Amino acid sequence: MTRGSKMLAISLAILFLIPAIAVAGAAKTITLWYPAGDITAGAAHFGDKALFTEFEKKYNVKVEAVALDYDTMQQKIFAAAAGKNIADILFVDDSWMPGFLKEEMLEPVADAKAKAWLDAVSPEIKELSDYGKGRMWGYVQYGIDVYGLTWNKDQFREVGLDPEKPPKTWDEFREYAKKLVKRDAQGNITRVGYAIRHVGQPHGIVHKHFWAIYGAGAALVDDHRTLRGGKTLINTPGGKAALQLVLDMLDVDKSTSLNFPDPRAAFLKGIASMQISETVSIRARQPKEAPDLKWGMALPPVPKAGDKPATNLGGWLYVVPKLAKNKAQAWQLIEWLNSPEKDFELCKKYNASPRYKVNWEKEPFKSDPYDQGLKQLYPYGIKLPINLGFNGIMEATGNAIQKVWHHEASVDAALAEAERLANKSIADATK
Amino acid sequence: MISERRRSPRQVLARLHSRHVLHAYLFIAPVIVLFGIFRVAPSIQTLLYSFYKVELLRGRFTFIGLENFYSLLTDEIFRKATVNTLTYVTTIVPISAFLGLILAVLFNAKFHLKEFFKAVYFSPMVTSTVAAAMVWWWMYNPQFGIFNVLLKLVGLPEQPWLMSSHMALTSIIIFSVWKNLGYNMIIYLAGLQAIPPQFYEAATIDGAGALRRFRHVTIPLLAPTTTFLLIYDTILALQVFDQVFVLTGGGPAGSTNVVVLDLYRQAFERYNFGYAAAEAMVLFLFIMAVTILQYYYSKRYEVAY
Amino acid sequence: MVRSILVPVGRLSLYLVVGAVAALMILPFYWMLITAVMPAPDILAFPPKWIPTRLTLEHFVAAFAKAPWLTYYWNSFVVAVGSVSCSLLFGLFAGYAFAVYRFPLQNFFFLLILGTLMVPVQVTSVALYIQLSKIGWVDTFLGILAPNFASAFGVFMLRQGIKQIPVDVIEAARIDGAGEMRIVLTIIAPLIKTTVATVAMILFLGSWNDFLWPVIIINSADLRTLPVGIALFKDPYGNINYGPLMAATLISTAPMLVAYVISQKYMIRGIALTGLKG
Repeated sequence: MTRGSKMLAISLAILFLIPAIAVAGAAKTITLWYPAGDITAGAAHFGDKALFTEFEKKYNVKVEAVALDYDTMQQKIFAAAAGKNIADILFVDDSWMPGFLKEEMLEPVADAKAKAWLDAVSPEIKELSDYGKGRMWGYVQYGIDVYGLTWNKDQFREVGLDPEKPPKTWDEFREYAKKLVKRDAQGNITRVGYAIRHVGQPHGIVHKHFWAIYGAGAALVDDHRTLRGGKTLINTPGGKAALQLVLDMLDVDKSTSLNFPDPRAAFLKGIASMQISETVSIRARQPKEAPDLKWGMALPPVPKAGDKPATNLGGWLYVVPKLAKNKAQAWQLIEWLNSPEKDFELCKKYNASPRYKVNWEKEPFKSDPYDQGLKQLYPYGIKLPINLGFNGIMEATGNAIQKVWHHEASVDAALAEAERLANKSIADATK
Repeated sequence: MISERRRSPRQVLARLHSRHVLHAYLFIAPVIVLFGIFRVAPSIQTLLYSFYKVELLRGRFTFIGLENFYSLLTDEIFRKATVNTLTYVTTIVPISAFLGLILAVLFNAKFHLKEFFKAVYFSPMVTSTVAAAMVWWWMYNPQFGIFNVLLKLVGLPEQPWLMSSHMALTSIIIFSVWKNLGYNMIIYLAGLQAIPPQFYEAATIDGAGALRRFRHVTIPLLAPTTTFLLIYDTILALQVFDQVFVLTGGGPAGSTNVVVLDLYRQAFERYNFGYAAAEAMVLFLFIMAVTILQYYYSKRYEVAY
Repeated sequence: MVRSILVPVGRLSLYLVVGAVAALMILPFYWMLITAVMPAPDILAFPPKWIPTRLTLEHFVAAFAKAPWLTYYWNSFVVAVGSVSCSLLFGLFAGYAFAVYRFPLQNFFFLLILGTLMVPVQVTSVALYIQLSKIGWVDTFLGILAPNFASAFGVFMLRQGIKQIPVDVIEAARIDGAGEMRIVLTIIAPLIKTTVATVAMILFLGSWNDFLWPVIIINSADLRTLPVGIALFKDPYGNINYGPLMAATLISTAPMLVAYVISQKYMIRGIALTGLKG
């Protein structure tokens, strides 16, 4: 053999040996996949090696929590499921659920357990967990997202607004934003009254404008609890008004700008006075990123006085794929991790809002101002539609919003197209 | 090597051809077999999916013939993605090749700090596209990014970069040029260094100046390299994904949506794997056609030794 | 032999232009570097700071603590060496065959190899994954290497390089009685040193930075390659981790810069030794 071929043979031999060595000595292990980063604002604790020790000892099972890159996680889950080689538990974004359900990828929660959970948790968790007629496909994680209006109290004071009184109607909202916007000598905006999210994934754009769409009486789909069928209600006077609101703020009031792409970062940096997004993320980031920021949190404004406010609820779920190899242990772990005791212990440790009604009665949650503030927001929280055509609806709507605010299409044209594409997506999903 | 002298060895070779057929197959066997199993088979499988409604996770495949393709024809998002992709390719391939050539010529000469500068021009290639794109995302930020800071410094107006549907694609193109410069440069360098000096000497003796030597010796003799680069760059550019995914996600308003990104969304967010495969099929056919065209067109210019 | 093509604009202007453009080229690296060494409040400062108030290694410490870098390096190294050596070896032979021989179905096979570049890896990855899980290669080194045992780019470029070798040389060797395999390894390979070094460099870079396939095929934390490991430093919704992320990226990039410098030295020496360019 020539030298090259010899080297090749040796390298290949080594490569074949390595997996053999790795496989030796495997105890019963269940795997859990979760996205890396603070993105989940609560899953950070999966990195804590001590989290599962109690469980591992009790059930004589090893738990391997593997962090994955969030951006490619859906692709990875899909490939793994297709190859029948998937983790036992997945920690996923609830907006991914319709996709999973469409492919019948998940194992449902046992009926009895589901009923027990739904009875024991507070209303907003129940809302997020129930996928129609008491069916549950996973357990909702603590520290759920609810969107709220956050504002910079010092900046309110600076322009003569009462820092404890957020705008309640759209008119007030526009007035406040006009007062709060700041410009430099050349007339460029250096601080926006309200920061808008208009770039990036279409889903995110819709999330951040959900409050206006639903507040004005429009909806992404007529029944947000059914999996199949229905139609979108985005191309309605309410939908048009929702898009028009920000368009007016951009063009007429000039109190906001397309140049501030990340509302939360802008808010934390003090170059946006108001923004509407997940409050839990501001609460988590503010101490580190803007320690001096004094902020308030309230329901988003409504079109006119007396209207019912709307905001979105979202969260993360523990789910078990049908093709998981250790389903029994997987459910055991999930139930253990989401028991009332663990709920209390972890929420206290990680400063998150609990799920069980009994825990809300206990300190520190009972008196915590942030948690109590959240309680004001929860009743108006609307879950995202679980329609199987969800992704198409979100993309169509997000694109329409983007086109309108980028002056690429009129409100009517964009919404008409969004309606057409969203309905098509709903129809396609039922085929 | 002038064509005159070539006839004799060629004739000898022709006689030996049948002897070498076995060798030929033996030599290409590893590549063909390994590719066959690990790349060709999955590719064919994927392309075949385009004729089915694919429910991969349920294991259900329903044959629907050309239905996916009919839907593609009326899909305006796909159409826009195609236009964006073509705009991208027709811009970046010539620019990259041209700049690569200039740089290669430059670095073929001798001057102080040449190796240092060469390393600097090559450095963007060293990082992964994803990491570099993340850095550029931040640099393009209208408020915090260095580009606008620099523009302001020299008194030029600040730009929206990735925030504007008119500028986003251009911004991505600028990134891609930066990223691929080194690659084009060293390929051309390798090609330049392969040109035997006799040609330059002959040309100089004939009285040709630097520019004429460049036009009549360098460029023609670089033709194979140019062909290679154009073909390879085009194939890759038509499949651009990483930087678009990171920098804009396809927006704003679909202005940077490209075919592979659209296909990715269809596959992994909408679970329309068959439809995604149809997009891949269309892309594949297009790339194949363009490559064949480029190849045959280039044959006319290839100069043998 | 005159190599310089310095137009009468003057050396000084050349240096200025080259230098200015080089500064622009390196700007992103500058940002990466200072972000990795400046304290967190500076990163988040507004207006943005382009000169750090002070230097700190806290991000490197955090990055080192957060991930098993040695494991990542080793995995990336094994994959890169395995993939590049196979690709070079197989590519050399295949490139030779395509460049020198004429055989039936030659164009078909060449187009086949080129064709593997034409279907986006994003979708073929799923079909390949399914295939590999059937033979138990998921989450193994072999799995990562599977689509990378050979390289179409390698074949293409080596063929290009070999085509430029005068036929006489090959003929002479044959007349001397050398077998084809010996010709390829002992005569052809040294003659195209620059091409081989270039291909090796590019393939190594490609393997080192390959993200999409490793992320799909790797499940265990101890099999992760560098790009997969670095992706975990990303924080899609929060910006506060740029410090450790940049530190992590620099840690990953450093060896490649070293490899580049080495390959360049090798190329220069190669040219000087053989006397024949290429």
